[in-house]
Amino acid sequence: MDPITFSIIRHRLYRVVEEAVITLKHVSGSAITNEGHDLMVSLYEADGTLLLGGVGFLHHLTSAAEACKSIIRRFEGDVHEGDLFLLNDPFTAALHTSDIYLVSPIHYKGELIAWSACFVHVYDIGAMNPGGFAPEAQDVFSEGFSSPGLKLVDRGNLRQDVWDTLLNMVRGPEMVALDLRSMIACNNVAKDRMISLVEKYGLPTFQETCKTLVAQSEVQLRERLREFPDGSWESRQYFDVKGEVYKVLLKMTKKDDELIFDFTGSSPQSKYSVNCTKWASLGGLFAPLFPLLCYDITWNEGVIRPITVIAPEGSIVNCTKPSPVSVATVGAIQSVNNAACTTIGKMLASHEKYDDQTSAVWHANHFAVFMFGKNQKGGDAIGILTETFAGSGGARTFADGVDIGGEIPNPISRMANVETVEAMFPVRYLFRRRLQDSGGGGEFRGGTGGELALVPHDAPDGGLHYVLSGKGSQFPQSEGLAGGNPGAINDYVWVHSPESDHGHNCFSQSLSSIPGEKEAISWGVFPLMGKDALYVRWNGGGGVGDPLDREPASVVIDVINEVISPEAAREIFGVEIQGEKIDAAKTEKLRKSIREERLLSKGGK
Amino acid sequence: MSDGAKTYLVATDVGGTCTDTVVFAVGEPVILGKALSTPPDFAHGVLDSIKSAADQMNLTVEELLARTSLFVHGSTVVDNAILTRDGANVGLLTTEGFEDTLLVTRGGYGRWAGLTEERMKNMVKTDRAAPLVERNLIAGIPERSDYKGAIIRELDEEATRAAIKRLIGEGVDAIAISFLWSFYNQKNELRAQELVKEIDPSIYTSISSHIAPTPGEYERTSTTVINAYAGDIARNYIENLADLLQKNRYAGPVMIMQGYGGLLLASEAADRAIGMLECGPAAGVIGSKALGELLNQKDVIATDMGGTTFKVSVIQGGQIEYAREPMIDRFHYTQPKIEVVSIGAGGGSIVWIEEGTNIPRVGPRSAGSRPGPVCYGLGGDEPTLTDVFMLIGYMDPNIFLGGSMSLDKEAARKVFDTKIAKPLGLSVEEAAYGIFRIATAQITDLIREITVERGLDPRDFVMHAFGGSCGMVSSTFGAELGVKKIVIPYTASVNCAFGLISADIVHEYSVVKTLPMPASLSEFPPLFEPMKEKALKALADEGFTGDKVILDWSVDLRYSRQVHEVTTPLKANLPLTDEGLERLSNDFETLYERKYGKGSAFREAGIEMTQFRLTARGLMSHPDMSPSPTSGEDSSKAVVGRREIFVEARSAMVESDIYDFTLLKTGNLILGPAVIHTPITTIVVQDKQRAVMDEYRNIVIELG
Repeated sequence: MDPITFSIIRHRLYRVVEEAVITLKHVSGSAITNEGHDLMVSLYEADGTLLLGGVGFLHHLTSAAEACKSIIRRFEGDVHEGDLFLLNDPFTAALHTSDIYLVSPIHYKGELIAWSACFVHVYDIGAMNPGGFAPEAQDVFSEGFSSPGLKLVDRGNLRQDVWDTLLNMVRGPEMVALDLRSMIACNNVAKDRMISLVEKYGLPTFQETCKTLVAQSEVQLRERLREFPDGSWESRQYFDVKGEVYKVLLKMTKKDDELIFDFTGSSPQSKYSVNCTKWASLGGLFAPLFPLLCYDITWNEGVIRPITVIAPEGSIVNCTKPSPVSVATVGAIQSVNNAACTTIGKMLASHEKYDDQTSAVWHANHFAVFMFGKNQKGGDAIGILTETFAGSGGARTFADGVDIGGEIPNPISRMANVETVEAMFPVRYLFRRRLQDSGGGGEFRGGTGGELALVPHDAPDGGLHYVLSGKGSQFPQSEGLAGGNPGAINDYVWVHSPESDHGHNCFSQSLSSIPGEKEAISWGVFPLMGKDALYVRWNGGGGVGDPLDREPASVVIDVINEVISPEAAREIFGVEIQGEKIDAAKTEKLRKSIREERLLSKGGK
Repeated sequence: MSDGAKTYLVATDVGGTCTDTVVFAVGEPVILGKALSTPPDFAHGVLDSIKSAADQMNLTVEELLARTSLFVHGSTVVDNAILTRDGANVGLLTTEGFEDTLLVTRGGYGRWAGLTEERMKNMVKTDRAAPLVERNLIAGIPERSDYKGAIIRELDEEATRAAIKRLIGEGVDAIAISFLWSFYNQKNELRAQELVKEIDPSIYTSISSHIAPTPGEYERTSTTVINAYAGDIARNYIENLADLLQKNRYAGPVMIMQGYGGLLLASEAADRAIGMLECGPAAGVIGSKALGELLNQKDVIATDMGGTTFKVSVIQGGQIEYAREPMIDRFHYTQPKIEVVSIGAGGGSIVWIEEGTNIPRVGPRSAGSRPGPVCYGLGGDEPTLTDVFMLIGYMDPNIFLGGSMSLDKEAARKVFDTKIAKPLGLSVEEAAYGIFRIATAQITDLIREITVERGLDPRDFVMHAFGGSCGMVSSTFGAELGVKKIVIPYTASVNCAFGLISADIVHEYSVVKTLPMPASLSEFPPLFEPMKEKALKALADEGFTGDKVILDWSVDLRYSRQVHEVTTPLKANLPLTDEGLERLSNDFETLYERKYGKGSAFREAGIEMTQFRLTARGLMSHPDMSPSPTSGEDSSKAVVGRREIFVEARSAMVESDIYDFTLLKTGNLILGPAVIHTPITTIVVQDKQRAVMDEYRNIVIELG
């Protein structure tokens, strides 16, 4: 088609999504949506084909597409102008119940021409634990309201009975109402803008543009895939919940212009809510694929077509109903994510043209902490610690990972200021900073994670409680590449003190100096009351290349900046430092002896 | 000039490329001066620019300045210091436990903020900017205030002294101090600052509770560090400027433009480097606002297209919008700053074909002025928008910049054909039309986005078009947006300098405190009175009293448990009454829904007040532009030729009249399609549009 008109319409479609995202954030006004950017907006063709996915939480691009298709099937013959559908059932299309999809058909002169869809993580969904993550749930029935598709707005009229029923089942119904309203407004904006686009350019031109846009992405990805050698790349991810270990196994095979992701060999589904439905796994797989392999390609169905996924039914990456799944988005989905990042990274590194697009695993393990209780003013407060969106960058083949630099599936997240959190919750931070030695060692090291400690402060109830879905404190998950080390693991420590008086006068600057008994925790609901403290440290990114090949000067700078310890400099990087200078002779000798040891240990096994 | 009568007002704006001057006196024509900027020693450019204006008046610089009663100045010096990383060696004292706050930029925020969506998508290639303070120059200080501003840990003076000495030993020459919650209680910051002064009075200091007393420690710290980083440069610059002017016989006050669109006396501005950030574009908006007031236009979309960027800002009901999360380079800061949004689309923007899709693209890369567009013949070999303007007949190769430079159309054609038209399978003309359409569509999309984002409809607005390239495209995107009319001002090329002479002295004050709505009336006087006292004293010291003083109060409000705050003007009289408070609350709700859309209001949660602001103005005497009498519609005497130009509505080249701006008389009517060449730019009037030269010599295009 005419490249000029195509270029203009494509640009405008991107703006449609952007405007809809702005609307979503404006109307919602919540911290998780505005700070965490835990949202997504995307556009679909009339048959549910993903036309344009926005830069939001990328796990959702494919599952929202499935939500559209599922609504089309379920409501065949009953889709009208002005309708709006809701879907949040993980076994139909969603990731977990608290990420609600609102899906809106777009009509032009009576004809269905497209769909828009969006999601936010709603304030609450009525699961057994507040905030949506339910580590204590035994099945999906304890994870709150769940719908495989219902009509929320009928020909422009809100169905009050449905609305009231839904809000009747959640905590903080006024907050959930606002979340829903923001999604309605978002879909309305997308619809308006799409219609004016069609009005200006005509339906045939619009439809041709859509077809071309999808076809073009497919051609681009297939051409790119053809550039790489055929082969298979593997990754193994382990994580644990309450002492039970789970494995996600991935073999990615590239043949001609197609990719097959095979999860055969992954653990059976868990009794804990870390499971993924197949839609969650699909989303987890595509989240890194979009920015790593398709950084310059429009994110739509064309990118999905060359990909095949094999996920055995009944496994942790394709669980069956009624397995609990509320923690999926920080559970097994992340292992899927990480494994895909690694296999794609390995393939990218096999071609010198794409070598510099390779990345070790970023923020491999979220640490979802949902605080709930009474705030300083006596009001109810539920909210996530947004540090979990702050993440850490994986190392690249040309540079270190970005310290506390974010995560791949959510390219534009951020965390709240300490002052924002302390104003909204009755807590005080003792510290929040980069975590020494958390970035995986390598010629280029992984970005560091962080550490923080919280104590109650000025709390009317003496403190509050939190839901912790902190799986995975046993095995590092931020894999390194090409000899790079993985990043450090997450850790959660409940420091408890029998004293219960108000006013915590502790100013400790490390976990060890916080008074009280320290207990490692990871899963469940815990108190932050009286003189309790919560300490969290979160994982760094994976490294790239052998740490012994790291420029010694860079190691010294890291030591000066307290990003790595002198011990790690010596043991991991083989660098001896005197004062603030490298001891070149000793370093050379040390590196040589570490290399020799490695050879020996290899021979010994 | 023996009488020494001081009658002139001189405004000089130092921009990245040019330094512009406007000289104004009642009853005399406005004189415009222009010279190249001369970084890092900007003073030469300032004098050159004043000289270019003085020359036109047959005066020397000294003669002009001796007759000048007020000198107003805006400069890019602070922006430049940051962009070129030419500032001080800064150390930072911050609350122990939070030493990394500045460096980790609230997670990925500092990694992606300020990037285009395209660059954000390629995450592997994104990084933070190198920080202005190294980690080893950041010292954690034992001290702590809580969320109410109660000091729960006293400042450890001994540790503070040791930290200061260590930083000085490391060679810092400026120290920024930023503690948690200091905007509620600045005691610890003030004491730490005293300790620095005691140890070494030559160290430049900046404290966050003074520079940016607002919640949010990352942005507040970043602001304080930027201020410390550029503090000495700004101070020296302003002092040198004052000296230079004095040496050239100027004896009046020197006023410095601030990013929030107001002026400060040089002595005060010298201590707030951060205030000068982006003051040029801010002055441009003030200029547009002043022009709007002159022409009785309250709702204006101000656009400016130069060599590398297209900038736009919105004036609604005579009110200017302020930026929520401003950045300089890729650093966040928090200061009242006029919102100016930009995209990489200017005359120098490079036209290219996207690999893989074969789609033509415009910008954001620019050829700048060197090597510049292909047609400049300075070695540029990538086609730019300027080359496209030439190919579609908008530019006359022979009279560019008033004939001072001729352009190579054939070279442009050849390069464009090889690199753009052939790969697209189009003729040169078709491809050039297409590129023009893409560029104007992108601009349309940007303007639509920023107006719609504020709940505004472009059709209710007048558009002002400034800058060297805007006149060629504004009649096209203005028509698509459906604006009422487009004004290409007489002062279009020196708009920022014009804005300087239209500005007032403005002092901004604010106090942070969270109060529920409604709050007890006794809460307000302790918040308002100290600010009022400070403001009145400052203005009185500068010679403003009585009706020359205007105090504008406003309050930031939000719905509880929501993140969006809206600064709402307090329209009621002080002292506040319950009715006044209710009016504030209602005004907030109206503004909130207007800004964030229908259905966004969240009354159920209750309303909170979070910040109380005072904008104190000292009213300056502004130029009183006098209209000239009109001399009829007949513009035929200004026609200097005919040429084929691209006419958007007909998708074809159409032979059209070419006008010489200098020959046009006020009241003259021009029917599109037509081109008007001015000494510095070109104005295109599209098909079926009518352009009139108004009584101030502005070109006003009426749309269909």
